[in-house]
Amino acid sequence: MIDPIWIWLTPYLGASVLAILWILGVRDERVYDWVSVGSILVSAIIATVLLPVVYSGHLIYTKYSWLPSLGINFGTYMDGLGAFMALVVSWLSFLIAVYSTEYMKGDWGVQRYFFFFTFFVGSMLLLVLADNLVLMFVGWEGTGLASYALIGHWYTDEEETWVGDPGRKAFGTPMYFEPSHSGVRAILFTRAGDIGMIIGMALFYMVTGTFSIPEISETASGWMGFLASKGVLTAALLVFSLGALAKSAQFPFHEWLVTAMTGPTPVSALIHAATMVKAGVYFMLRFSPIFYNGAVALGGSALAATEQYFNIIALLGGITAFMMATMALVSRELKLIFAFSTASQLGYMFLGVGAAGLLTQKELAYEGIAASAAHLMSHAVFKAALFLIAGWAIHAVHSRFIDNMGNFSKYMKITTLSIWLAGLSLAGLPPFSGFWSKEGIIHAAEAAHLESLWILAVFTAGLTGFYTTRAIIRVFHMPPYEPPHHEAELHEAPPRMLWPYTILALTALVIGLVWPFGFGADFSNLISRTLGFKEPVKLAVEFNATTYGIITWVLAMVLLVPALYLALKVDFVSMLKTSKTARIFHAFLYDRWYINALIYIFIVGGFLGIIDILGYVDGFIDAFYHIGIPIAFILISKGFRSTHKGRPDLYLAYYAYGIGLLLLLLYMIWG
Amino acid sequence: MEASIPILWISIILPLLVALIGVKVRDEKIDGIAYALAVTLLLPVILVAIAAFKGLLGEGLVDPWMAHIGGVGTFALTLDGLSSLVIAGVSLVTAFVSIYSIPYMKTRITEMKEAGETPPSLGVYFFLYSLFSVSMLGLVYATNMVLFYIFLELTLLPSFLLIAYYGYGDRKRIAILYLVWTHIGAVMFLSGALYYGFHVGNFDYLDVNTMTPITGTANMLGTAAKYVALLMVLGLFVKMAVFGFHMWLPYAHAEAPTPISALLSPNLIGLAGYALARITVPIFPSFFAQYKWILIYLAFTTVIYGGLVALKQTDFKRFLAYSSISQMGYMLLGIATLTPIGITGAMIQYLSHALGKALLFMTAGVFITELHGLRDIRLMGGLARKYPLTAALALLGFMHLVGMPPTIGMWSELFIVFGLFKDVALTTEFIPIVMLVIVALMVSASYSFVTMRRIFYNKPRSDKAEMRTETPGALQYSMLFIGVMGVVFFLWINPYYHGLLEVIHKTFLFAGIGG
Repeated sequence: MIDPIWIWLTPYLGASVLAILWILGVRDERVYDWVSVGSILVSAIIATVLLPVVYSGHLIYTKYSWLPSLGINFGTYMDGLGAFMALVVSWLSFLIAVYSTEYMKGDWGVQRYFFFFTFFVGSMLLLVLADNLVLMFVGWEGTGLASYALIGHWYTDEEETWVGDPGRKAFGTPMYFEPSHSGVRAILFTRAGDIGMIIGMALFYMVTGTFSIPEISETASGWMGFLASKGVLTAALLVFSLGALAKSAQFPFHEWLVTAMTGPTPVSALIHAATMVKAGVYFMLRFSPIFYNGAVALGGSALAATEQYFNIIALLGGITAFMMATMALVSRELKLIFAFSTASQLGYMFLGVGAAGLLTQKELAYEGIAASAAHLMSHAVFKAALFLIAGWAIHAVHSRFIDNMGNFSKYMKITTLSIWLAGLSLAGLPPFSGFWSKEGIIHAAEAAHLESLWILAVFTAGLTGFYTTRAIIRVFHMPPYEPPHHEAELHEAPPRMLWPYTILALTALVIGLVWPFGFGADFSNLISRTLGFKEPVKLAVEFNATTYGIITWVLAMVLLVPALYLALKVDFVSMLKTSKTARIFHAFLYDRWYINALIYIFIVGGFLGIIDILGYVDGFIDAFYHIGIPIAFILISKGFRSTHKGRPDLYLAYYAYGIGLLLLLLYMIWG
Repeated sequence: MEASIPILWISIILPLLVALIGVKVRDEKIDGIAYALAVTLLLPVILVAIAAFKGLLGEGLVDPWMAHIGGVGTFALTLDGLSSLVIAGVSLVTAFVSIYSIPYMKTRITEMKEAGETPPSLGVYFFLYSLFSVSMLGLVYATNMVLFYIFLELTLLPSFLLIAYYGYGDRKRIAILYLVWTHIGAVMFLSGALYYGFHVGNFDYLDVNTMTPITGTANMLGTAAKYVALLMVLGLFVKMAVFGFHMWLPYAHAEAPTPISALLSPNLIGLAGYALARITVPIFPSFFAQYKWILIYLAFTTVIYGGLVALKQTDFKRFLAYSSISQMGYMLLGIATLTPIGITGAMIQYLSHALGKALLFMTAGVFITELHGLRDIRLMGGLARKYPLTAALALLGFMHLVGMPPTIGMWSELFIVFGLFKDVALTTEFIPIVMLVIVALMVSASYSFVTMRRIFYNKPRSDKAEMRTETPGALQYSMLFIGVMGVVFFLWINPYYHGLLEVIHKTFLFAGIGG
């Protein structure tokens, strides 16, 4: 059998080869294309070959020594979840790499692009296959680095690469972002969470003395009991999960993902939709069964603390899902709509995991976790397709604004079909893949008696249907609001771009079609091979009155869009001009609930203020040492000098006084 | 284990001999000397690697040439787990910076001659350079406070002259400022050491026969022990530029010729941190235990203060100088935790900071050499387009500081945090320490990535780089090697970790720290 380490090692080797070639002066684009696509394909094939082994119930686990005494090794742990993630990540990366060879052709930084792209794929695969926390952290930070570099890929900050309306401000805070700025935002926001993860690791080190995930799972009831007895279990789990929340752009860390859209579109598709932002969800899928089992085994205060933790996770997920969906309603940039939508869908996944953790029935809990995994997969597929289509759309009109796009359906039939397939999957309508997985999550929320979050989730599902259809209708079926500034290239995309998204869109449909006929069961079977799953999982959607109600609600919201735009021809633009209420409401959503402005005013502004004060403090310390002390000595020296002016009579007097003083002192000491 | 040949003395003497030959060589022909110097300076790191490979770091290596002096102790040179990564850092940086110096100093000397000055020749530069380098090595090898002090003073003179001869700005005044300040530190250390030595009867801090640290001697000092410890620790703090004692550093490190900044900033000041762990912790364990929290908060203050003030700087080298202060805070933090893993992290921090900060100072030097002394960050911007390899290496340097894999910085960051939480988790200090750790690490990440952007991305803010393109040469390739070594040590950490831990465990056992 092939060693699973090659799954993540091959892309790393590919990236290293590219780095060496670059230093040696090789600049030929095709070399970079081939090495990158080739190394990713190899790892995708290995992941596929190994999948049946895991599916049939065997754990694939190899280890090479690194820092063995701490349980830190190059260990590749391929259980159900790992195998599933590796499969999704590697094949998506492959398709998007192929797309990139066309999309990035002739770009001035194409070599750098493929280096970081390949490095990213290696890191992501390492992240999902690592058997210990530190190795996972290495992959985790690697994805962060690649994301930073690729968001800022066009670091010369030309205006067409920005996100947001140039010149727009909210409370004085600029709401337009240059690529290099967005890159810094992304790495700092996610880094803040990663520090929580480091602290979490420190706690594991202290309590268990190991970083090995299987060992942490085995000893869960031990360390959880210990932390619970000290009353810090909830805090510890939350701090540990900060990295996941930040990486997956959950409130209040969501801001970075929005502006990450300054990167090249294939990067948005791969890193900021399909894979890296799922790292946080993966983290939750990996650890929530462990936490859940530990808490259930312990009961009492540990259980209560863990439930509190899962409650918070569900709450954050629900809030993010809703909040981001509302922002997507008004956005004018095609990629931004999908970015908001990504954060929103990630919120669903967190909600699913959180709700699952609250279920007392074990089968139901595992089912909820598996539903989140299913949504991860379906979302990865359809959102990648949507972004890749957006890439072509933006390229076609040389503008990121949907105002400049329109009537695409007349020129590109296959693309139109693809975006509808992917879009309806996002909307969550049957028989598309998104329906089954989202339904599973909503069901989990219902079963966990999270009534308000359930209502929020259902409501958001309708919003999702609305904003998705709005984007499609406006870009594909309506004339543009403003004609594009440049000559538009309205025709079907070249094959290397067309095929990847068509394949993905069809996959979204096919998964949905075969889901009720055995595929769902196969998927559940694979997921139940995951570490910590103690019961086989059966993912099945029951069609009852609630299900039909939700479907009707979403369908109504989907149909509302063509009704408003095409049949009634409602003029939203002039509505904004005339109504003040509409403007206030619109600005609130368009400026992202003002959260960005608040972060800049209070946190960034606060630190800038502190820096200013510290500048003065430093100046003061400097002056004390380098002006104060020298002046003091100069003065002392002057004082002494002024008493020595060359008059012998004075010297004699000093001498006499001195002797007298000395005698007095001696008398005081010995007398 | 005693070495069969006096290899450690050889590693000190060889570079000096090479440099002595070079003194009279004319500037045009100096390249060979610089390369030979680099090769000889690499000897210590090769020794460390061999010792690591053979698993000898825990046991240590003693040079057979030693002198026993009555009332003073044993003058001997050793290498063990605790010093391994420090030696590696000194050796790697001095070796590659020596090659880097060739183009840099040639430009600098031409520039000074054009300005009508008469700087000493490159031969003199390399002699002072090698004296500076080997005295740092000797300082790490030493086992006796007197020998330590001799080497400490020996580092001071050549670095003082190098600043005074080849520095920038008001260099004579700054050289004196540097000399006076670090001398104050050294003398404070010395006065503490003298009191200690005269009471204990010798100045050893490492028993070369058993390779165990000297502990328990502080009892002989009675109540004075606390003050002696305070003197020595404060002396080292000045050297290390801990908050409050840091004021000399930005001047010296910013105005020294850049290759020397690359040695001063990460290497020399970090040695004070090494001395804290090597000398003062084993001898005065109760001092560190008693003032643990003060030291931890002082360390946090240094990290956050240095990092935030760095963000305010407009001069690239001054920015790096403040960032060094901040990084020294991490080193102090690791030591102050008084846990084996924390001290391990602090020693790894020495290496990661040495490599990372050397990379960054060398980046600054590239622009000073090639862009007519450009060092004002406000006039930079967009340089990655012109200098892609330099930009990549600078990013790698920043990753060392931030602690991102795949650089060795990750290990130091993890271990220091682990050490910190080993004791404070589950106490009332938990939440404040969590907040402080987040703020501290975020400050490091912020100044790194914000500055990366200000220098390399966005649009150029001046036309200084307009007509230039990067032609990688000795400047960039010497940087490349340093960067690669950061990744190599990241992957090959195991023997060093065990070597460090073994020595620190021994120390803790003898000193009775941590139960």
